[in-house]
Amino acid sequence: MRRRATIITSLMASAVLTLAACSPGAPAGEAKTLKIVYQKTASFTALDTLFQSAKQEFEAANQGVTVELEPIQAEDDDYGTKLALALRSPATAPDVFYEDTFKVRSDVDAGYLLKLDSHLQAWSEWDTFDDAAKAAGLGDDGGTYAVPVGTDTRAIWYNKKVLAAAGVSLPWEPRTWQDILDAARKIKASDPTVVPFNMYAGKATGEGTVMQSFYELLYGTDSALYDAEAKKWVVGSAGFTDALAFLKTLYDEKLAVSPAEALDANVWKKVFGEWLPQAKMGATVEGSYTPSFWQDGGSYEWPGYEQDMGVAPFPTQEGQAPGGVSMSGGWTLAVGAETKNPDLAFGFLTTALNKKNSLAFNIASSQIAVRKDVAADSTYQAANPFVKDVSELVSVTHYRPATADYPRISAAVQEATEAVITGAKSPEQAAADYDAAVKDLVGEDKTVRK
Amino acid sequence: MAVPRTTRWVRLLPVLPAVVLLLVFLAGPVLWAFHASLTNAALTGRNARSPGWVGLDNYARLLTDPVLPLSLALTVLFVGGSAILGQNMLGLLIAVLMRRARRSVSAVVGTAVVAAWVLPEIVAAFAAYAYFSRDGTLNQLLGGLGLGQPDWLYSFPMVAIMLANVWRGTAFSMLVYRAALDDVPGEVTEAALMDGASGWQRLAFITLPMIRGSIATNLMLITLQTLAVFTLIWVMTAGGPSNASTTLPVLAYQEAFKFGDIGYGTAVASVLILIGMVFGAAYIRLLREAKP
Amino acid sequence: MTTATQTSARARRRAALGSVSLARRRARTPADAALVLIGACFVLPLLWLALASLDAGAGHQTRLPGEVSLDNFAAIMTPGLLFQPLWNSLLLSAGTAAVNLVAAVLAAYPLSRYQSRFNRPFMYTILFGTCLPITAIMVPVYGLFVQLHLLDSMPGTIFFMATTTLPMAIWMTKNFMDAVPVSLEEAAWVDGASGMAALRTIVLPLMRQGLGVVFIFVFIQAWGNFFVPFVLLLSEAGQPAAVSIFSFFGQHGAVAYGQLAAFSILFSVPVLVLYVIVAKGAGSSFALSGAVKG
Repeated sequence: MRRRATIITSLMASAVLTLAACSPGAPAGEAKTLKIVYQKTASFTALDTLFQSAKQEFEAANQGVTVELEPIQAEDDDYGTKLALALRSPATAPDVFYEDTFKVRSDVDAGYLLKLDSHLQAWSEWDTFDDAAKAAGLGDDGGTYAVPVGTDTRAIWYNKKVLAAAGVSLPWEPRTWQDILDAARKIKASDPTVVPFNMYAGKATGEGTVMQSFYELLYGTDSALYDAEAKKWVVGSAGFTDALAFLKTLYDEKLAVSPAEALDANVWKKVFGEWLPQAKMGATVEGSYTPSFWQDGGSYEWPGYEQDMGVAPFPTQEGQAPGGVSMSGGWTLAVGAETKNPDLAFGFLTTALNKKNSLAFNIASSQIAVRKDVAADSTYQAANPFVKDVSELVSVTHYRPATADYPRISAAVQEATEAVITGAKSPEQAAADYDAAVKDLVGEDKTVRK
Repeated sequence: MAVPRTTRWVRLLPVLPAVVLLLVFLAGPVLWAFHASLTNAALTGRNARSPGWVGLDNYARLLTDPVLPLSLALTVLFVGGSAILGQNMLGLLIAVLMRRARRSVSAVVGTAVVAAWVLPEIVAAFAAYAYFSRDGTLNQLLGGLGLGQPDWLYSFPMVAIMLANVWRGTAFSMLVYRAALDDVPGEVTEAALMDGASGWQRLAFITLPMIRGSIATNLMLITLQTLAVFTLIWVMTAGGPSNASTTLPVLAYQEAFKFGDIGYGTAVASVLILIGMVFGAAYIRLLREAKP
Repeated sequence: MTTATQTSARARRRAALGSVSLARRRARTPADAALVLIGACFVLPLLWLALASLDAGAGHQTRLPGEVSLDNFAAIMTPGLLFQPLWNSLLLSAGTAAVNLVAAVLAAYPLSRYQSRFNRPFMYTILFGTCLPITAIMVPVYGLFVQLHLLDSMPGTIFFMATTTLPMAIWMTKNFMDAVPVSLEEAAWVDGASGMAALRTIVLPLMRQGLGVVFIFVFIQAWGNFFVPFVLLLSEAGQPAAVSIFSFFGQHGAVAYGQLAAFSILFSVPVLVLYVIVAKGAGSSFALSGAVKG
């Protein structure tokens, strides 16, 4: 009697523990629920708006289907981490998610993304998408795994008042790196309290450091990060060292923000929210989405920014052809490989990216449209005065290598810029350390000296 | 003793739930760590789908990774500076002073010290971040004294983190030493006082040897606690600038989750677990010697 | 500031010791001063929290607000920002403490009541478990949770967090249980009650206070835990306040210091209150009763 009570109590407690621990937390998804994961931050709500409206449309058109929106509140880097953590487990993998173009290929390799070719054939609107943009969703096997929502370019954004006050003639169109330094020194001389020409550096700004700064320099020399033909990473190039040396000059001469400020992950918020609007900064290199922060409803509304700001292509090192350089990234929507309802998930994706929703999203987030019908729309063209300028940069733009090991390489580049601007290493030393790091990461046989 | 006559295994059955939990959630992850550190498991890319067995490759890479020696050195510095020296000495000092000071004073100061310890870690981390930031309270004070105002989190990240950890963790040592000093019989010190021994002599030659057990235990526990500090560093510096404050837990997190290299990240974690185990074993020995 | 007219009982006792008390008293003022100085260093960062929360235009500096306002508190008192995360924290912490207590009580009973060769090694093994740096096993725990399909599951996270504090809780519970005399149970056993019944009806009611201490101790630990839910809970709706505070202010960090301070204060109040309750009831060294006093 006594003994049995003890046994039963203990066994029951153990059973409860084991059962509770091993039952999945969320109820096993009913057949008709779609989970959508995307990014939402205080300064980026356009996507949330897009999905809210797509959810309404889709649920109205498909009775009995519930769309669960699961925004992740994090900046790009942390968003990528959180998404990857969720993708790895089939239990938490979303049906449709927002995916950075540079992660597409490695996530295809990982088996996280559903191949969409058969679905795309049946979707009449796929033809309206720009061919160059479509390439962002390709896997190694030539199949399409993701649909682009927009793209972007990068350019110099300068404050006309600051430049004019320093005697720089407008419109400012630097042709070489030297032109940039000349103008920056001129601004510094006329008003030492102003940050003349900012370029991001260091690990804190993550991809922003390479996309908005280092690659503009590197691709403006005669070398590159990656040899796409040979499928090898470039090491030991003069261009790499030159690009680092240019950053060092900017930071050493105090033409950019202070190294301490550059290593603050929130530095870009100060660029958009304080320094440029308050005429405390001459120029910065930033993305084509810049106006989305300043237009009505943006995070840092700035009435009249259209008059105060100007935009110029980033020059090549010595002014060599094509005379300008830009980088394009962009984001896509993808369908989870493990989805129980591939047709419904793809249906939701097409609803989210129909003309109406794409147009609204491209305008709200100042993205460059990837749908031709959106690009031709008069409201899109009139959304801000810079649409035409930044769209034209597509002709001189470059893309990141879409390989699985790219994120590690990018981190090594960021590390090199950080070592240079903090004075920890000379450009030559940092470049040599980068070369060693790349060989460690991908193996000697995957590198090429150029 | 009229213990109910049940067989031995039935008596021990109620221990089962705890054992199951400990096996699944504590021993499980440790074994999984040693296993995964021998693979190239990853968050993304081909190795996410089918991790391959790479033997000791990750550990070989650890030995050649330039960040690892730095990270180990920083971890040792962090533990030595903020736990063994900082928290331990300051905790002892406060406990000794409290025995001499007025009750009201020690009560108020004790509350302040304990408050920093009871605060949720993330809140303490944000408060420390604000305190050490360039336009923060510390520089306000230094400026008021006419001294320089460095950017602590950028120029001296380890100093800032160590001070923050001393601020946050001293309460534990203080409580241990207060309890220990209260157990020292008053007659002993009174007798020494009659013999004309000064306060510090009494402390060094009579009191400290009497509470040696507590000192050893405290050192062990705060070392283990400090080894595992992550949130404080993550919020204050995120390991930067240029890895200047990347201790082992931060390194493991970055490798595994930021770069998606689960295999390598768990290798770093395994090193940390082993260090913890060595200290743990030493701690158990200490306790067993104390209570034969 | 000692005056000769002190008449408290303690002072009178001291006076009997003559020279001893003189030496003591001389040491008192420097000790007071040193303590006050140390205390000030500890208070400063906390002072910033308090002042910034009442200052609508707060920055990193510690300053008296130009005008005391509750704007910061008003701004963050929204369901999405404050109440939902706090509710999640409550679920997580209470769940963790409950699971912990049940497992700890069940485990402590035989360890406390039956002599067996297996007790000591078991207790030492358990204690060894407290030595594992939990942050070090977060990466493997994530991997394990992927395989068990426990990611983003509140119960899964509760069980893991309960396990991390379980060794300490078993030690504490066993110590409290050892203090309950076994003779009371012997009477019950003679009457034919099972061990479990004796535990429920006799032992537990007598160690109510001790159980409260263990529960609160675990609750405080879980409430402040950031790293575990940060890795194991993914969806926004299930995040406890420790994580939501991080993701929210990770983005606003450069702007909303006052709100951050207000949020921090509201988030800290529950654990401070709980700590005071326990410290009052059990002496301030409660948390150490398990490990240090053995």
